[in-house]
Order: sequence, then C-alpha cells, then structure tokens
Amino acid sequence: MTEPALKLEQVEKTFDKVRAVDKVSLEVDKGEFFSLLGPSGSGKTTLLRIIAGLETAGDGNVHIGGHDVTRLPPYARGIGMVFQDFLLFPHKIVSENITFPLKMQGLPPSKQEEQLNWVLSLVHMEGYEDRYPHQLSGGQKQRVALARGLVSRPDILLLDEPLANLDLELRKEMEVEMRRFQAELEIPFIYVTHNQEEALTLSTRMAVMNYGKFEQVGAKLDLYNNPNTRFVASFLGSPNHIHGQIKRVEDNIANLDWKGFDLRIPAPAHANSGDDVDYYLKHERIQIQSSQESGSVKGENRLEGTLRDIIFKGQYSDYFVVLKNGQELVVSAATEIPSLKIGHPVEMYWPPEAGDAYLTEEKVK
Amino acid sequence: MISFWKLRQSPNFRFAILTMPGALFLLTFFVLPLITILIYSFWRTESYQLIADWNIENYKTILTQKTYLTFIWRSLVMAVSVSLACLVYAYPVAYLVAKHGGRYRLILVLLTAAPFFTGIILRVTAIQQILGPIGLLNMALQTFGFEPIQILMYSNVASAIGLIYLWIPFMVLAIYLSLLNFNFELLEVAYVNGAKPWRAFVEITWPLNWIGTAIGIVLVFIPTFAAFITPRFLGGVNGALYGNILEHQFGATGTWALGSAMGVVLFLICLIFIIIIWRTINLQRSGYTGEEL
Repeated sequence: MTEPALKLEQVEKTFDKVRAVDKVSLEVDKGEFFSLLGPSGSGKTTLLRIIAGLETAGDGNVHIGGHDVTRLPPYARGIGMVFQDFLLFPHKIVSENITFPLKMQGLPPSKQEEQLNWVLSLVHMEGYEDRYPHQLSGGQKQRVALARGLVSRPDILLLDEPLANLDLELRKEMEVEMRRFQAELEIPFIYVTHNQEEALTLSTRMAVMNYGKFEQVGAKLDLYNNPNTRFVASFLGSPNHIHGQIKRVEDNIANLDWKGFDLRIPAPAHANSGDDVDYYLKHERIQIQSSQESGSVKGENRLEGTLRDIIFKGQYSDYFVVLKNGQELVVSAATEIPSLKIGHPVEMYWPPEAGDAYLTEEKVK
Repeated sequence: MISFWKLRQSPNFRFAILTMPGALFLLTFFVLPLITILIYSFWRTESYQLIADWNIENYKTILTQKTYLTFIWRSLVMAVSVSLACLVYAYPVAYLVAKHGGRYRLILVLLTAAPFFTGIILRVTAIQQILGPIGLLNMALQTFGFEPIQILMYSNVASAIGLIYLWIPFMVLAIYLSLLNFNFELLEVAYVNGAKPWRAFVEITWPLNWIGTAIGIVLVFIPTFAAFITPRFLGGVNGALYGNILEHQFGATGTWALGSAMGVVLFLICLIFIIIIWRTINLQRSGYTGEEL
C-alpha cells in the first residue's frame, strides 16, 4: 500500500546521439511537492514529457500510482499537466476547458458540474465560467490551466515551468496558491523549472539536473546547505566563484592561493598542493563591516576591500566589494547598515566551511 | 479649402483609393455581366434573337420541367460527393505536410498542384486515356480476358474521378494554410487530459480548422456544381450535368434567355450554399481571438 506515487527506474532518452535523459531513477511520494531544477537543455522537460507519455523512454520504466505505465499512451496514464504557455483550448469557454478531462473520462454532466464548481472555488475563478481564454488575464489563464490539471484529481500533477510567463507579482501570488492547492489536495506535484528561487520556495524535495543526470536529490535545504557536487554548489544560490591553487593541506583544511590572497577552505577529497580548486561561497555566508569597526568579530578568513556599490533588494542588499587583488566579491547583508558607504574601505570574514570546494576538473574530461 | 494633405490622412479616402482598382474591375467584369444575365433571363429568345419581352417563363421552365430539375439534382449530388471525397482525401495530406513536412512543406504543397501545369483539357484527356473504353485500364483488362469496367467508361463516376483530381489541390491548400496557424501542442494537451487521438481530432483539430476547411469545401463545391468540360469529356452522353445543358443554351440551341435564367439559378444555388456554410462558422468557436464581436 506504500507504493510511491511516481517511480522512475533507469529512465533514458537519446535524441540524435545526445543523451537527453541519462539513467534517471526517482521515487516521489504522495503529498510531495517535488521540483526538477536545472538549466535549459538539462533534460528536465524531456523527463517530464516521458512521465506524461508525450515522449517514449528509450529505456527504463515509469510507474504511476503503482502501475507500470511505460508502454501506455498519455491518455491512459491518469495524469494532470500544466504547461508553460497555459495552452488553454481557445475555442472552448472556461468551464469547457476545465471539464475537458472529465468529459474524456465519460463522467455524467451532473458529476462534471459538481467537480467544476469544486475546482472553480479552489482556484477562486467563480463567475468566469463563460469566458473565452482570450478574455482572461495571464494570471486567470494560469488558474484555469491549474484547474484543468486538478479537476479530475489525478494521481500526479506535472507542471512545466508554469510561472515562466507571468510577471513577478503574479508569480509570487501563484507560488503561494500552488503550495495551498498541493497541501489541500495531497496530489504530488512534479514541478519543472529553471528558476532556483521558485524551486526553493515551492518544493519539499527537489532534484538538480544537469546533462540529463540527477546531480543531487534531496530536501531543498539539504541541497542548498550541503551540495554534493560541484555543479549544485555552483548553481544553487548563485555563489561567489573563487578559483585558486592549493598551497598545502592540513587536517581537512587547505590553504588556497587566490590571486595573492591566502584563504583557508575545506580540503576537497584527494587534494594535493598545486591542484586547481574551485571554491563556491554564497553571498549571505560572508560577514561584512566597515574597516573602522575592525576587530569586533573574528573569522578565519578575513579580506579587506573597497565597497563599490550597494544594490537594494528589499529585505537585504547586495554589497559589491573590490579587493586589493582586483577581484570582486558579492556579500548579502541587512539593508541599511549605516557604517557601510560606497567608496569606503570594508572588511569581510567567513569561516572556511562556509563555502564548498571542488577540484577543478581536467579540461579534457 | 480642404488641403489635399488632410484629405490623404482621412481613413475613408485611403480606403477608397485602395479599393478602387479592385472595385472597378469587379464592377466591369462581374457585376455588369451579372446584371446583363439577370435582365436576359427575363427576356425570351426566338430564332437566335434576344427579344426584350419581359416574362418569367424561363424560370417556370427550369423549376417545373423534370429535365432541368434532374440536372440540378445531378449536379448537386456530384458537387456534394466530390467535395466530400476531396475533403477525405485532402485532410490527411494537408495534415501530414503541415505537421511533418518541415522545410519541404511549401514544395510538397505546391507539388499537389503540379497537374495544373498542364491545363485542364490535357488533364481530362489523360484521364480519358486511362479510364475510357480504349483506355489503359480497360484495354489491359480485356487483354487478360476480363470484362471492361463499365462504370468507369463515360459515366458520372468517371466525371467524379476527374473532378476530384481537378479540385483536390484547392482543398489541400485551404486546409494546409489553416493548419499552418494551428498549434499542434494543443493536441498534446488533449492527450494528457485523456483524449484518444480521434477524440482530440474531433474536439480540437476539426473545430479550430473549420474556417479553412469550409473555404476548401466552397472552393471545390462551386466549380464542381458549374462544371461542364470534365463531364463532357469523361461523362459522355449519359453523364451530362447542369453545366453541360447550360452551355448548350449558349451554343447549339442558341436560347440565350433560358441559358441566362439557368445561370441565375446556378448563381443563387451557389449563394445559398455559401450562406449555409457561412452560418456554420462561429468565429469564437473557431478560436478567433481578435476584438469583441
């Protein structure tokens, strides 16, 4: 009875010798909000289409609700799907768009009406039943698209970058709504996006995909705080990228030469002196203060520089600091720190374990 | 004084300038002849002479004499069958080319019109060479000791084959142009939502391409209803259609007045057909997304 809502076994897909999806296995449980995050071309959309049955897997198996659906066409899979550009049927009014899946299932009209009213109130679209899609705003179209995906209470709802075409304000609003739908209905959502903020906001668990493979799968905070791979470390949080050479390794701490600065970083596995290393340091992990206040806090790495610019982001600001070696670091900290002024000297510090270090891969690899 | 510049800015003036050439052409070569024919149809002919003697005898003849009604009926059946046959044949062709033609699709569509390069007489004669009594098909059958297929020799079926062959490119083109603007992704949406392929076609593809399809049907129906060359070559004596006896009035018998009345009847039937088709078109139900109606 504890069959996962979705199970992928070694799923593979090749287009013209390019591995779009490379032996991916995954289990998603009922009630999960699962995100597939990756840059464009990473295979996340192809994987979603394989789950939907719109692409056939070259190899491997897809199970939905405990049934092997690998060989089933999309219309026999009992899924819901929400598309990037909504793709409402332009010649059908809202109520017809929403009840389309029920009509295809052959549900009696009274039952369809019942389901329609339920889902309309869920997505707050009562009163729009008779509109045509072109008479709706982007946000309303999105709600109708979600309603169509949810109306038959599918075993699983697939979402392909559903918020990509909405403006920021609507996106924030829909993010909240989608979490609510998902929590209320307990239908697992498989959510494809290239927007890490969205993935981090919405999901319970997520997978980061790159070149058709899962780089890392897990709880979102775990991925954010403990990246397993260099790609995840470099991708999540859009961190500062520090590239240097190891001078020596001692008790899991390495000394890194970064264009003349000596930094202490966690030693990557098998690192030796002379190795090239990439060190990814998230903006908010760095402490910043004006040089006059120096000495009040002690960190293991300490750098001085000049504050070049402050970009206001709302609850926090990004501080751009130019270092003496010509490099630049971005630090996220509270907005309005009165002692920090553009053009003035500042100092930054952080413990070695605040960042993640990886051996720079050989070019030929 | 109205400045010329101001006049040029006026939308009415622009509209008039732009539509003038076309309007003049239509007036001269369509409306005037039509009015002439309308007038003639209420006259009578005597010994190849038109006499301006106003009466409605011509219409009485057409609408009461069984011969004329039979020919109208025959042509109507022919036009409907040929339109349907073209539709059934052209839809998959247009669909395949629009969806899978890739960068060759324009060429593929133009190729369906390749027979047009030879002219109608040649095309019809070519079919005659294949279907006729001494044509390829029946000669071959006879050579091997079979009976010739009577139904393909000088019959309405032979005419229908010729007409279908003749008008298919119009149907293919009309449907193809419509499908070019069709978002095939909507079909994926339908599949995911539980529609089997035929159901997705009925629910999505057909209604969203109905305008183009209707145009194709009209483009085939009207010339088929008025056809006279094809049935003359392929239909033979017993395969004559309305168009043949209409043409006859202006040739051998020289009864221009009756011929004109027949022309008016033909025009009206086509008009009624267009109106019927037009009434089936609901712009919003065809996915029209323009301004409020």
